[in-house]
Parts: sequence; structure tokens; C-alpha cells
Amino acid sequence: MSFQEKSAWGTLFCQLIVGSLYFSSIWRLWRADQLETETILGLSIGFLVLLIIILSGYHIIVAALSRGAGKKDERDRLVALRAGNVSGNVLGLGIVTVILHIIVGGGTFNDPLWQQPAVIASALMFAVFLSQLVELGTTIWYHRRGL
Amino acid sequence: MAAAVDNRVRSLRQGEKNLTQQELADVVGVTRQTIIAIEKGRYSPSLEVALKIARALDRPVESVFWLIESE
Repeated sequence: MSFQEKSAWGTLFCQLIVGSLYFSSIWRLWRADQLETETILGLSIGFLVLLIIILSGYHIIVAALSRGAGKKDERDRLVALRAGNVSGNVLGLGIVTVILHIIVGGGTFNDPLWQQPAVIASALMFAVFLSQLVELGTTIWYHRRGL
Repeated sequence: MAAAVDNRVRSLRQGEKNLTQQELADVVGVTRQTIIAIEKGRYSPSLEVALKIARALDRPVESVFWLIESE
């Protein structure tokens, strides 16, 4: 298994755990009617720092154990390009979905849910999270199944 | 009509050249995983890499890589 594939597996695993913890916290706060933009900012920074620390440690260990770590050839670059393309489409779809909810739900139907900045921010964060998972999953898929 | 690229990198590498995948990868300037993917037909290399592989195996490129066409 190449360094890039090991990196994708580790990052996917860590993001799934940290992301699940983050969004379950957001969900609990929203249910308790305590979801504020300041809380989201604090949680985002906290979980982001946690993710960076975990991923840095993981990559240092994997790089030490891998031959030619960090060396990318044309296949690695092509995999990254295609996975980034798929991920970009998912992110775009997520953002358009949120925009439609803001315009239709919050605007036309006056739904108070889609008038809350904290909810909109969380929905956008979820779109970013999902696009990252898709990018990592696609990267692994292309490495294992071929291009 | 769809076309795919087939090759005989593995047999040539293991034949008279007797190179390991890592040795061929080092000569060509790619990772061992890319050589594995090429040998298994999971990746069609660029023209540059195909030419480098052919040169490393002392063969013309068309005897290492060729097109297979299917309906």
C-alpha cells in the first residue's frame, strides 16, 4: 500500500471519528436549543485542532515506516485530481442545497430553522465534511480499483 | 468502439532483465505501486512513462504496450 493510500485511510478514519463527535455535539446543542454561532466557532476550532494533532501524529508515524513517503508520481497526481473533481461536485451540490433551503425555506416559507445563522453554518460545515469523506473514499477507490 | 491498453511489462521484467518491481520503478521514476497497477492492467501510463519502461526493458514501446479494441 502506497503512502498516499495509507494517508487517505488514516485521514478518512480520523475525520469520521472527529466529524461524528463534532456533528453529534452540534446535534445535541441544537436539540437543547443552545446552538449559537459562538458555540459553533469554539467547537469548530477545538475539533480542528484535535484533528490536526491526530493527523500530524499519524502521518509522522506512517512516513517513518514508508519507503519514499511523500513522493508522488503521475498516477498519484491523477488520482488526486479525479478525487478532487468528484469532491468538488459534492461540495457544490451541498452548497446549492443549503442556498435553496435558505431561499425557499427561510425566505419563501418563512421557516425559522433556515433563518438561523448557526444552522446554516452547520449545514455548510456538513457539506464540507461530506465532500472531504467523498474525496478520501474516491482516492482509496482509485488506488485499489485503478483509474 | 472502446480501446484499452494491454502490456507485457511483468513477463519482460521477470525475463532476461530480471528486475524487481522496485528496481524498475526507480529507473522509470514512479512508485512501485504504479508498476504493480500497470502490470495488473489497472492503470494505463502516460506516453512518457511507457517510453521509459520500454527503454528500461530494452524493447520498442509497441512490443511492451498495445491497444486492445472491443465492440
